[in-house]
Amino acid sequence: MTEGLVHNQEEFLNNISARLGRERKQQVVKPVWKHRPQWEILKDAAPEELAAQFKKNSLEKTTAVIETTAAGLAETVRGAISQYGGGRVVTTKDARFGDYGLEPVLVESEAHVWNAELGEENIDIAKRAAVGVFFSDISLAESGTVVQFNGKDIARSVSLLPLAYLAIVPQSTIVPRMTQATHQIQQSVEAGQELSTCINFISGPSNSADIEMNIVIGVHGPVEALHVIVTDR
Amino acid sequence: MAMKIGDKSFFGRVDDALQDDFMRQAMSSAQDRLRGKKQAATVEDELVGDWEEWRSAGEEIRQHTLDNLDFYLEQLSENFTKRGGHVYFAKTAEDATRYVQEVAKRKNAKNVTKAKSMVTEEIGLNEALEEIDCNVYETDLAEYILQIDDHDRPSHIVVPSLHKNKEQIRDTFRDKANYTGTEEPKQLAAFARAQLRETFMQADIGVTGCNFAVAQSGSISLVTNEGNANMVTTFPETQISIMGMERLVPTWEELDVMTNLLSRSAVGQKITTYVTNLTPQLVEDSVDAPKEFHLVILDAGRSNALGTEFQSALQCIRCAACVNVCPVYRHIGGHAYGSIYQGPIGAVLSPILGGYEEYGELPYASSLCAACTEACPVKIPLHELLIRHRENYVKDYGKTAEKMAMKTFGVGASSPLLFKMAVKGMPAAMKPFVKDDHIENGPGPMKLWTEVRDFPAPGKGNFRNWFDNRKKGGGAHD
Amino acid sequence: MKVSLFVTCLSEMFYQNVAKDVVEVLERLGCDIDFPKGQICCGQPAYNSGYRKDAQKAAKQMIDSFENSEYIVTPSGSCAAMFKEYPELLKDDPKWHARAQATADKTYEFTQFIVHVLKIEDVGAEYPARATYHTSCHMTRLLKETDAPSLLLANVKGLYMLPLANNYDCCGFGGTFAVKMAPISEQMVDEKVRHIEESTADLLIAADNGCMMNIKGRIDRTGKPIEVKHIAQILNSQTAEGGN
Repeated sequence: MTEGLVHNQEEFLNNISARLGRERKQQVVKPVWKHRPQWEILKDAAPEELAAQFKKNSLEKTTAVIETTAAGLAETVRGAISQYGGGRVVTTKDARFGDYGLEPVLVESEAHVWNAELGEENIDIAKRAAVGVFFSDISLAESGTVVQFNGKDIARSVSLLPLAYLAIVPQSTIVPRMTQATHQIQQSVEAGQELSTCINFISGPSNSADIEMNIVIGVHGPVEALHVIVTDR
Repeated sequence: MAMKIGDKSFFGRVDDALQDDFMRQAMSSAQDRLRGKKQAATVEDELVGDWEEWRSAGEEIRQHTLDNLDFYLEQLSENFTKRGGHVYFAKTAEDATRYVQEVAKRKNAKNVTKAKSMVTEEIGLNEALEEIDCNVYETDLAEYILQIDDHDRPSHIVVPSLHKNKEQIRDTFRDKANYTGTEEPKQLAAFARAQLRETFMQADIGVTGCNFAVAQSGSISLVTNEGNANMVTTFPETQISIMGMERLVPTWEELDVMTNLLSRSAVGQKITTYVTNLTPQLVEDSVDAPKEFHLVILDAGRSNALGTEFQSALQCIRCAACVNVCPVYRHIGGHAYGSIYQGPIGAVLSPILGGYEEYGELPYASSLCAACTEACPVKIPLHELLIRHRENYVKDYGKTAEKMAMKTFGVGASSPLLFKMAVKGMPAAMKPFVKDDHIENGPGPMKLWTEVRDFPAPGKGNFRNWFDNRKKGGGAHD
Repeated sequence: MKVSLFVTCLSEMFYQNVAKDVVEVLERLGCDIDFPKGQICCGQPAYNSGYRKDAQKAAKQMIDSFENSEYIVTPSGSCAAMFKEYPELLKDDPKWHARAQATADKTYEFTQFIVHVLKIEDVGAEYPARATYHTSCHMTRLLKETDAPSLLLANVKGLYMLPLANNYDCCGFGGTFAVKMAPISEQMVDEKVRHIEESTADLLIAADNGCMMNIKGRIDRTGKPIEVKHIAQILNSQTAEGGN
């Protein structure tokens, strides 16, 4: 892409300022908000408490949770993968699989590691996959949420298309809530850093309550979800 | 089809609704459930802290954004295009649909998938796309149900198919899509999943609304539970998002607050299952991401509210919390409003967007009980805005008889002498209608009352005389 | 304590006994009551129907009438809330705005005044009954008075209070709404009556004459054996030994 086009902007915005009864604003300083309750939640929580909240709130969203250590992670992931029978494993392309000693497990289970060079083939594999495995970049205690910064290697499809997703959640990534995650994003935007094309906050399997307000788990996205908390990383 | 629903008069629609027993049952049980869920996730959730603080936070953010709307929209547009996206400012619904048609034609698009979006309902986007021979697929479960049921209309802004029960949905699926399963919601949802899976992959264009845009980075945030918005924005080559021009926040900090208010108020969730934040990319090298990203920013009457007593209506984040507590909506459901925006916010918004000629009666469809105002997460004074609408409406459309009556009221209510005479004269005037101590069949406008309930007969004694002549502290009156 | 009574037009026309009970309760609690003769109606019927000018006339009449009052007390949360609306109603009228504010500031609903100004929660009443209470929308949401009626009722001897399902839903009165939107109002009051019946109470206590007129009208029309009373009537009930 090159820089995009913009249509009808001036007329449109001039109308707004006219309706507001003033000239167009060239500069606005965002006020210091008087009300900021978001920062109070789990403000002083210790890492263990955040992990406990993350676990509780994951379970509430029907996401399964396993706690393990870095040493036990490979075994845990191996066990979890074997539970999701009848299809392949697909993973994001992420150096952390190596860092966490998971490559042997992936090889052993013939996992497909996302490879942008293969193009559409990745998607075909992902949509038939039993489980998609990825790392959570930021994890939200308040809501049992994992966050992905999607891009070329951290493909969106991995958490979306397989029947189940398995997110590896290093305990150090757990923050109180969305506040800390958006704050981090805001800082990187302000620093002029490249922004991920899709920042995805995911809290368990897809679901719907559209039919008589009955919760149905598993609609267009995954039907099952598992959060593996790595307590010492 | 656009914003308006049906051709009947308001009372014709109300009559239809009141006779629809299933719909009414569905509405009241949905309200009770949604209210319970919302309470649990807001005022009763200890972790979230003081919910009033959150509401105040939402209010100040929305007010500031609207006061500086031109600035933040320009910033949004700049950041969106800088990253390679295209922005189209649409003054009218027609401008918006024409632009989308042009993009679709240019891309030779055949298949369009859509995530749930009320703003696309408002502008009649599906019809516009079908006009140029595109196949449009609604993918939100509720919208999918409505679409295959011969384009039934939404009755709730968050759960558009709220008026249908599972048996009706099963029958629709069976008659229109060869479904053979039961009315079990899990089976029905699985059917929709299977039907739409390939459709998602084959689509040329994905269309979404926009829960919030972030001016600071040119991002579009979508909240969903089903994962369909992710499907719609991941696989098609082109993405078009359409936003009401007021739906933006300055930075990610405010996005956090608004998302929290929306999730908890709309569905009683701490966060929806997906909060998907999409930003165009100058160099898009992902396999599963759109290569072209358009943002349509829509006015379509919204600017009518700016700088007026109705500006606060634009604070709305479409959570339907007001709809979910409205005792009028509870009984008449969504379609009776005759607008895709129903309930209290619909009664406030529809006349702003569509005028009093079409929607002038809606502000009267409220007992002004203020449950809406109390529920609103961004503190829109909804019941007060309904009164403001009534003030405007009676100026141009008020019935002469009512105007006269109110003028008489004004005179009567400012003249103690006249009032005294009225109080004194009333028992005699009402005497022909009084039966024992009440009135069962009153005259004039009272008839509308007494068709349903008794009206008290005017008291025979005179309070003022009693007050003047009583022995102070003299114990019980008769 | 000097108290000016705003009795409300509905009470004056239809529920004189409620008005008398209000006077007697307040006097028993030591208030010195006066009744400004210029009072008529708070103006809400016109205001809520969109007739702002006519409502302004009514408001000015009331502001004048209560000019010299120390406290204004009224047995209706809805009318009290209308008084609180006067500053907004007259905001463009510099001559009246400050006076409107002064009127609003000294206005209290009857139970609110007893609990929050007189600081009394037990008025020494006795009323043996199984009752439920209708929370009026304007009292709770506009006036934001949620505790006073229930605190007072909890201390009435012999009164057994039952919960009322969906007590937060409006009864369907809404002033002119009840006739303008009659078919909808009917459904609302019907549901309210159904919930009252389901509470198994023999008595419904209300604190607003408008709601009371609506609910009682429907209860009586449908022949339900449920009594309806204003809270002032309950609070003014004394037995021989409990009397003053």
